[in-house]
Amino acid sequence: MDQYSSIITSVRDRLYRLALRVVNDADEAEDVVQDVLVKSWKKREQIVGLDNPPAWLMRMTKHQAIDRLRSAKVRCTRETEAAAPDFATHTPFQIAASNDTLSHIHRLLQQLPPDQRTVLHLREVEGMDYKEIAEATGLSLQQVKTYLHRGRGKLRTLLLQQRIVES
Amino acid sequence: MTHTTAKKLLDRYFLEETTLVEEQQLRAYFRAGDIHPDLAAYPPLFSYWEQAGEIVAPKAKRPAVRLKLPMRWLTAAAASAVLLLSLNTWVGPTETTPPPIAEAQPIDWSKYEVTDPEEAYRLLRGALKIASTEINRGPKITIRELGEVSKMLK
Repeated sequence: MDQYSSIITSVRDRLYRLALRVVNDADEAEDVVQDVLVKSWKKREQIVGLDNPPAWLMRMTKHQAIDRLRSAKVRCTRETEAAAPDFATHTPFQIAASNDTLSHIHRLLQQLPPDQRTVLHLREVEGMDYKEIAEATGLSLQQVKTYLHRGRGKLRTLLLQQRIVES
Repeated sequence: MTHTTAKKLLDRYFLEETTLVEEQQLRAYFRAGDIHPDLAAYPPLFSYWEQAGEIVAPKAKRPAVRLKLPMRWLTAAAASAVLLLSLNTWVGPTETTPPPIAEAQPIDWSKYEVTDPEEAYRLLRGALKIASTEINRGPKITIRELGEVSKMLK
């Protein structure tokens, strides 16, 4: 029980940031983390016995977030006709990306496929190595490298374009 | 870190050749602020990642387990109810007339009362005759069935 609690305490922020990166909505991200914690509590004895419990929790968070993203897209399509989007709500990432270039980076990241976005996030924000990312995402090492390479390449192109426009 | 080293490191970074330690060094270089003009496009990227890493999960706790209603079934039930109500309003009668209620008429039994003594005697005699016939019918059937059984046993 204490071991499980300490694992959760150490990983909770990372799970939230990962969920937020995928769903791009603070409330949804919080719900994702709650769901993951509830499910993991039911399997706490198995989790404690795993070689890498944080990787397992992160993989679960990624799957849960992608599921929620899909259902949110369906819901969003239904609701778009009924109500205008609320431009006043910003995610913590959006708030962080307060200037133009940062918001461009954020927008570009959100346009990437969820797996690619997740790999970039885990490397750049969480500082995880390829093996850890592969464990946390369920992707192969080669996929991790490819996604990271493509993602960084797109960001570089964006930054250079931005620079040309500014100068 | 020198600008030349930073440029080389950055090239390797975009080619997926840097280690985590080298990426941290690169971050430190951009954080320091003294950046070569050739690399001036990149600080926002590293700044974005740094800020993203500072985000923490909200402390406010919400109920961990929410009541999960069978939304699909509830929606179907609600839709059916609305449809039925709509049909009832659309197709149903606009003016409601109460159904006719049959009024029970009192029976005048005096009409059937036998007053003539001869008629009463005749009716009584007929009734007794029917009773006698029915009473005799049972033993006759029994005797006949027993006869059949006796024949089979022989």
